Amino acid sequence: MKKIALSVIAATAVALPIFIGENPYLIGIMISVLMMAALSSAWNILGGYAGQYSFGHAAYFGAGAYTTLILLTLYNSLNPLVCMAMGIVVASIIALITGSIVFRLRGHYFGLASIAVAEIVRLSVLNLEFTGGAQGILLSDVSLWGIDLNSKNPFYYGMLLVLVVTLSISQYLRTSKTGYYLQAIREDQDAAASLGINLAFYKNKALLISAALTSILGSLYGLYIRFIDTSAVLDLRLSIEIILTAIIGGVGTMWGPVVGALLLVPLAEMLRSNLLGDLLVKAGLVSETSGIGVFLKENLAHAHVLVYGIITVLCILYLPKGILGLFRRVK
Amino acid sequence: MSFLQPLLSGILTGGVYALAGMGMSLVFGVMNISNFAHGDLMMLGMYMAFFAFTLLHIDPYVSLVLIIPTAFLFGFMLEKLFINRVIHHPHQNQILLTIGLGLIMSNTALLAFTSDPKILTTTYSSSAFNLPGGISLSVPLLISFLITGVTIAILYLFLAKSRTGMALRATSQNREAAQLMGINVAKMSAIAFGIGTALAATAGALIAPTYYIHPLAGHSFLLKAFTICVLGGLGSVVGAGVGGIIIGVVEAMSSTYWSTDWKDVIVFVLFLAVLLFRPQGLFGKKGGE
Repeated sequence: MKKIALSVIAATAVALPIFIGENPYLIGIMISVLMMAALSSAWNILGGYAGQYSFGHAAYFGAGAYTTLILLTLYNSLNPLVCMAMGIVVASIIALITGSIVFRLRGHYFGLASIAVAEIVRLSVLNLEFTGGAQGILLSDVSLWGIDLNSKNPFYYGMLLVLVVTLSISQYLRTSKTGYYLQAIREDQDAAASLGINLAFYKNKALLISAALTSILGSLYGLYIRFIDTSAVLDLRLSIEIILTAIIGGVGTMWGPVVGALLLVPLAEMLRSNLLGDLLVKAGLVSETSGIGVFLKENLAHAHVLVYGIITVLCILYLPKGILGLFRRVK
Repeated sequence: MSFLQPLLSGILTGGVYALAGMGMSLVFGVMNISNFAHGDLMMLGMYMAFFAFTLLHIDPYVSLVLIIPTAFLFGFMLEKLFINRVIHHPHQNQILLTIGLGLIMSNTALLAFTSDPKILTTTYSSSAFNLPGGISLSVPLLISFLITGVTIAILYLFLAKSRTGMALRATSQNREAAQLMGINVAKMSAIAFGIGTALAATAGALIAPTYYIHPLAGHSFLLKAFTICVLGGLGSVVGAGVGGIIIGVVEAMSSTYWSTDWKDVIVFVLFLAVLLFRPQGLFGKKGGE
């Protein structure tokens, strides 16, 4: 039963661009969904399985995006995959520095230090010359093995591939030695240490896997959008969106991040493009010319972060185990 | 330029940072919660001072008489409505809840007050007090520093002498033991969060005349407040006071001798250095990390 469901999901995911191929807007949203699902799954390896909440994953995403685009603007003939690999190296260095400082400590420190590291990266990129500073980086043209990278489909499949890899690692972690060690660390660090688990080593391992995957997604995003600046790829807001996606779906579950992304990304898109406001008007709930109607029309598009805040609060208070946690309770 | 100039202006700004850091440290000590909405509470203090000035024509420093009780009540309510429901949850849920509350505050401010930065200009905004040796100290910063000093003295007396203050300290030292001694720890949490909020709003109001007032201004202050708390030792109110002054001086020194753009980076590097070499902070007890 489970295998059939999986095959259906996989077949739908692979075939989707054929059905909606004519509609670049929908493909764009699907790429965002896949990217957020993969980002959140990658975060989940560290946050969900090892219980180490990183509030600075934007640093790894930005490392991938910036390394790739900087290298490509300098050496236009370079293979994008090589740039992606360099992105992983940079992200791993940042991860190792963070991990070696913080994983000796307990409690609140990892969360705080992950923000500090991410802010150091963001501010450095903003203040340095070769990173484009506040103006960001614009990539003019890029090619890989003759594939047309101007169309969206290659990125759809690229994101899908990374998501599948990330989910496979999650699945492997559920039943492997490393995975059990990480879960033991999450449940009780002292007990795990007394059983001979090298806490710092396994936490660093989870962080490195998570950072590398996040960096690959950053590279893909950079190649896809071809314009990056610090507010798009290095902002604290991105780190929080990644966590929120996992929380809403269910932290520490394999499919939670996917469920979270399927819900949150279309919702954010609806708010951004003001579909929700239009819908309320069309449904006759508010008149377009009334005070409320005008206010919604002007402001709802900017309100998606506010909605994120409200969802976070409600989720922590009423649904701390996420949507998948809810189903588990019913069982 | 004289070495004393950045040192003195650093100490003056650091005093206000100290106030913000102490609020966060008190909340951390009593409730064991990292309050990620602290910066946004500071931002609300800035707007309160701004509107008291523009709408009611009250001097920003005088408006503290209104701001402090309002902010205390606001914090008290926040604790009763939201924070106390996660007090026994894992740290990460508490952090996420306060992040969510912070997002609600900053983005509501964004909708209500727009993203245009506001400037609070008083008659003495740009006046300076000249000391011998070519050193000049900004008058608004000097007044803020004096008010900070008075506030810290009152806070110290309150924590050291009053019954509520002693109960707060007892709760901070050992929550279970305090409860067994008949202290109402739930009430202490709400009071601590109220005081923390009041201190954040006071700090916000005090810097309002010298900063751009902006809905997202809280962001950078939040990280500064954390650095201060960790530097002073998480939960140590005295440590946060000293930590605030240190951060103020480090910032002023790096702006003067290096560049304004990099001053925040230096503060965060200092934060990591503290975690690396003295994770318990300057005044924290060893083993607390």
